[in-house]
Amino acid sequence: MNRTAFVMTVATLLITASFAGAAPSQTNIDFFEKKVRPILVKRCYECHAETAKKVKGGLLLDTRAGWQKGGDSGPSLVPGKPDESLLITAVRYREEDYEMPPKGKLPNAEIAVLEQWVKDGAVDPREGKAMITGGAKEIDLAKGRQFWSFKVPKKTAPPSIRDTSWVRSDIDRFILAKLESRNLRPARDADQQTLVRRAFLTLTGLPPTPKQTDEWSSRPFADLIDHLLASKHYGERWGRHWLDVARFAESSGGGRSLMFKNAWRFRDYVIDAYNGDKPFDQFAREQIAGDLLPYDSPKQRAEQLTATGFLALGPTNYELQDKETLRMEVIDEQISTMGRTFMGMTLGCARCHEHKSDPIPTEDYYALAGIFGSTQTIKPGNVSSYIEQPLPNEKEHAAKEQYDRQAKQLTAKLETANKRLKDLGGMPETATAKRVAGSKSRPITSLPGIVIDETSAKLTGKWTKSVHSAYFVNDNYIHDSGQPKGANTAVFEPKITEGGIYEVRMSYSPGSNRTTNLRVKIDHQDGPTIVTVNQVKTPPIDDTFISLGRYRFEADTRSAVTISNKGTDGVIIVDAVQFLSEPVLAKLSKIKPVRAIPAPPKPTNKNRNKAFREATALVKKLDKQLKDLKKKAPKSKAVAMSVTDEAKPADERVRIRGVVRNLGPVVPRGFITVAQPAGTPPPKIETGSGRLHLANWIASPNNPLTARVYVNRVWRHLFGVGIVPTPDNMGETGRRPTHPKLLDFLAHQFIADGWSTKKLIRRIMLSRTYLMSTDFDSTTAAADPENQYLWRFNRQRLEAEVIRDAILFASGKLDLTGGGLTIRKFSTYDLGYTFNTVRRSVYVPAFRNSMLELFEVFDFANPNLVIGDRNTSTLPTQSLYMMNSPFVIEQSRHTAQRLFNEISDDTARLELAYRRILCRKPTSGERALAARYIREFSPDDSKTDDKLEAWSSFCHSLFASLDFRYMN
Amino acid sequence: MTPMSTSRRDMLKTAACGIGSLALAGLCADQARAANPLSPKKPHHTPRAKRVIFIFMQGGPSHVDTFDYKPKLIKGDGRDIDFKGVRFGTFGKMSKRKLMKPLWGFKQYGERGAYVSDLFPHMAQHVDDYCMIHSMHTEGVAHGPSTLFMHTGATNQIRPSVGSWITYGLGTVNQNLPGFVTINPSASKGGPRNYSNAFLPTIYQGTTVGRAGQPASKATINNITNTRLSGKVQKKQFEFLQSLNREQMQRTSGGPGDDQLDATIESFELAWRMQMNAPGVLNISGESKKTLELYGINDPRNKHTDDFGRQCLLARRMAENDVRYIQINYSDESTTPRWDQHSNMPKHADHARAVDKPVAGLIADLKQRGLLDDTIVWWGGEFGRTPFSQGKNGRDHNPRGFTVLLAGGGIKPGLAYGETDDIGHKAVTDKVHMHDLHATILHLLGLDHEKLTYRFSGRDFRLTDLYGRVVHEIFA
Repeated sequence: MNRTAFVMTVATLLITASFAGAAPSQTNIDFFEKKVRPILVKRCYECHAETAKKVKGGLLLDTRAGWQKGGDSGPSLVPGKPDESLLITAVRYREEDYEMPPKGKLPNAEIAVLEQWVKDGAVDPREGKAMITGGAKEIDLAKGRQFWSFKVPKKTAPPSIRDTSWVRSDIDRFILAKLESRNLRPARDADQQTLVRRAFLTLTGLPPTPKQTDEWSSRPFADLIDHLLASKHYGERWGRHWLDVARFAESSGGGRSLMFKNAWRFRDYVIDAYNGDKPFDQFAREQIAGDLLPYDSPKQRAEQLTATGFLALGPTNYELQDKETLRMEVIDEQISTMGRTFMGMTLGCARCHEHKSDPIPTEDYYALAGIFGSTQTIKPGNVSSYIEQPLPNEKEHAAKEQYDRQAKQLTAKLETANKRLKDLGGMPETATAKRVAGSKSRPITSLPGIVIDETSAKLTGKWTKSVHSAYFVNDNYIHDSGQPKGANTAVFEPKITEGGIYEVRMSYSPGSNRTTNLRVKIDHQDGPTIVTVNQVKTPPIDDTFISLGRYRFEADTRSAVTISNKGTDGVIIVDAVQFLSEPVLAKLSKIKPVRAIPAPPKPTNKNRNKAFREATALVKKLDKQLKDLKKKAPKSKAVAMSVTDEAKPADERVRIRGVVRNLGPVVPRGFITVAQPAGTPPPKIETGSGRLHLANWIASPNNPLTARVYVNRVWRHLFGVGIVPTPDNMGETGRRPTHPKLLDFLAHQFIADGWSTKKLIRRIMLSRTYLMSTDFDSTTAAADPENQYLWRFNRQRLEAEVIRDAILFASGKLDLTGGGLTIRKFSTYDLGYTFNTVRRSVYVPAFRNSMLELFEVFDFANPNLVIGDRNTSTLPTQSLYMMNSPFVIEQSRHTAQRLFNEISDDTARLELAYRRILCRKPTSGERALAARYIREFSPDDSKTDDKLEAWSSFCHSLFASLDFRYMN
Repeated sequence: MTPMSTSRRDMLKTAACGIGSLALAGLCADQARAANPLSPKKPHHTPRAKRVIFIFMQGGPSHVDTFDYKPKLIKGDGRDIDFKGVRFGTFGKMSKRKLMKPLWGFKQYGERGAYVSDLFPHMAQHVDDYCMIHSMHTEGVAHGPSTLFMHTGATNQIRPSVGSWITYGLGTVNQNLPGFVTINPSASKGGPRNYSNAFLPTIYQGTTVGRAGQPASKATINNITNTRLSGKVQKKQFEFLQSLNREQMQRTSGGPGDDQLDATIESFELAWRMQMNAPGVLNISGESKKTLELYGINDPRNKHTDDFGRQCLLARRMAENDVRYIQINYSDESTTPRWDQHSNMPKHADHARAVDKPVAGLIADLKQRGLLDDTIVWWGGEFGRTPFSQGKNGRDHNPRGFTVLLAGGGIKPGLAYGETDDIGHKAVTDKVHMHDLHATILHLLGLDHEKLTYRFSGRDFRLTDLYGRVVHEIFA
């Protein structure tokens, strides 16, 4: 279905109204009863009757009122006009996305009956209602705003408690108050050794060395926290948490997986942001609209551009052939990701219908879709691609600024000179045009209306400039050399300032090797139209232009003419596109058509005066200067994945039931209504996509969700479970906060602290709550088995990266280098990539089509989804990995070898092995077990190989043991 | 049909307690089972089948050259037809295409005289054992999107694979083997997403046995054997590890109810049992010469069938061992995957030769062992191919009409269901969408595709999204 369906729907409403009163004749009723009703009953009622198991598309065909009201797509019939009736269109099976019944086309005779019925006025005696009651319910926004997460967090005073001796901070008061109210007692504090390991693993993802354990066990915990927060490994650890929710990957995965060669810059940006404690509001703003933010330095510009990789590096199936579907899917992915990441909202639901559980109407979704739809994320093509933007550095930036200034000045001068030349009766021309082609060129300034030369078009693919054949606009035309087909596109986007009907014309130089079937797409107000052009034939208008028809264009929506060489049978020529408004056309029609001119008018004698010569010379000079300057335009080498605003930002139309070509009304761009105070007007988006407005709204202290969601994420990474246990979902279907007031308190404090993550972490880690041990108490556990109220610290399974890094750290093989591109070489695909790096896990290439095995086995975040709460599974595959994988076996051997190199005494070696791998000393029982095992394994002390093997196997067992895998 | 009953053998296989070397004091079997998300679960209704073998023909075999006989296409050879573009650049545009008749002759087989082309002489002998659905249609036009759609019901969005949904819905009987296995899958065209659990718990992810491009004779489960230590030494190490673990658990665990550590210790026991069992299932050396012959394995005169024959035989061995969902893949890592003959349709003959005998052998073997009664065998690609030519003698992708074969588990054998139009371009009669096929397979396994849901990101997801019709007409 296309845009016309929507227009039709409106028309239908008027017509059905006028037919409602017509009195049906008996013949009509008989026809209905004998012919029509049986077809409807047999073919349609299964899904479109009150008796249906499930009514589809909101449409009932068992009453007259049913089809009059229609389903999601509007009324089904236009009495008297079968060709305009949706039902008839559907049963005719001519429109790909609009075929009914789904099981197969009706026999022609039945279709004919239905057509006849509609033609005769669709007489239908069936009374009854039009809708199933209890269907879609109206969303009550006022009620919605009462939901806890939509209320702006208020400053909350900590509650009073009984046992004041236990508390160290306000956080503890909130925790203890809940425990006391349930008669639960907090666990004792963990011992220093445990706390040191906990702090190291939590803040840096690396275990402490035995020396560090000793040192920090006797120093204040606060100092340790400051020490670790200042470590560069802190950013590597906490940046990775953010990469989980940013569904970071370095390839697209899916169908034809594209490699994201520069995604590592986004990863490093995130790590740097954490290490530099970038305020979270700024961090959020940069990721949503970094390309649109002002900047003080090239470095800042580069950082902000890199941040927008957040929007670009999703799991897009670039191979999807239906590009409108692809566009909507990309928008959907961005909305869903942004919604969950920053706001903990599941916005994706509203793509197809009003959100069923949260107060988010479909309009809100399409208000956001307008913002992302006005943002360019992909370059269309057979296999589309992503967008990369150059990153300036200081030196390049200065050069670029100078260049821009010079180019602007020169262009202005040239324009003035050209104008003067034109006033003198000359033909404004450019030096190149005169030099190479003189008579073949049509200077753009000589043409009426809006003219866009190919130099201003968006081009993809390889194009060759040429001046070989007449005629063309300005300097030259371009062609695709006839090969290969499908890669080249040229998009012309006019700046329509005044809406109305325009004639669209296209220029090309004909020739016998040209294509005969060039398909040109015109995006206009009433939908895209495809026109086929035969470029072998000489264009009819002035031998230069061909008309592509007249269409309606509006100032505020995207208009475009797209030329592609896909499927063409010869060379395609792209030159200029012209838009002539009706007034201009009217003027032109009064002028006698210019005869097809083989050569431009030669300057007459009267023009050969000094002024004219000077003007010509000046134009020539300036033109040459401009061209020379452009040749030397500075280019930036470093690029980052990014997005950019579309030239023509526009509001989106609702897609009924999420069906891409089923268009509903236009929705002005905006945000989530329920998360704004009642009566807030939609944002005034006067320029650009509105992404900047969106970013500012999300990063605002008044946004009820952003700070809460983030603070909860931080809590989750410190305690293993969030205050809201579903960190990516704070809506109705998510879990409720266990300590809502604490969450508000932290959110409020976080904003007051300038959105500082480090301050937030420090504040939480210095609480008594954080110091609790994991000690189990069966009585308390019976009252709170899930440890919802935090009566003890949650024992946490190490994440995949920590397991890997800790093994490599113990074996002495971990490479602690930070940052940079880590993918060895770029093959076309990420499949079959051999991961053989010993860099920290955060730097292991993160692909969507292949993952380091250890990551896969130990619940690494699925890079296709927003993961704020990783799974913690306990699977036999993990045990198989720990027992049998070459990685663990090999690193165990290195660990043993390292111990052998350092220590010769078995007892001391045993102790060091424990301290290095488990960060604690062995118990006497463990000493005995280990000694016996090693003795049995290698009874003969003189056989060093056997002994090393025994120790390898021993270290291997420690890596596989519980105390390694868990953090207490 | 009788409901699936839990046999003694099943009981032994499922019992989590008492089999491993470690008896879990204080934990009863029920508790352990509740903690194991792979334990067999009660289906929604009486199932007709217990497991699935999906034989994936990657790249899209041409239906008009194989199982969808179209006399009018033969007659119309060389005629122009109007075609509305579906690909980027030609989307929605009309063009002329030339019909191309099948490159192989068709003969009639079986009781109803079903037509099968000369490409599949062995499978042709079994037409009375399987049902042909001629009216398949699906989403996507390119391999990636369509392959993902076939596996997950979505062309682009991240959704669990059919096998993941099924093991999530039913669990699996044999705890010593994975419940969902895919043999030699391709890493391209969707790659791991084709057997991914997506948002379902990780345990429902497909376990890969080998990968595309690797000989099936080398296919194995990752880390299933220890390459460094002998069996005897490894047993010692394992016992040592578990004694360390018990020591550690005593030190840090507070007793019953603090079951996180128990579960980890138990997962080592399970892993050990898998290590003891799985290699045996993957080892075909005990199969009789006659059986190997049936699948075309080790045939000195015909090497073409050896590799896929091994995959088919592994599928049977896994079916025997109650693996719930078994996928075998005739696939590779090329940009134009195996059956993808855009420019050289005669190459279909190579692929047919490689799979024809093995698949026929598998059906015959399952049947003679009584396994076909409760095993669904699904043969097919991600789409079909166009009845008109592409280039000189190729065919393009055709998602609008193609054929799949279904055998066993409650399916009416020998049936031909649905039709494409006269030339085999679009499904027109009794259309079966890929969603419908998914719904039908779930139904046969006792699962209602509308009830098999998982709540993620605030809403309930289904394999069939909002669609899917159970094709009751093909049930026996």
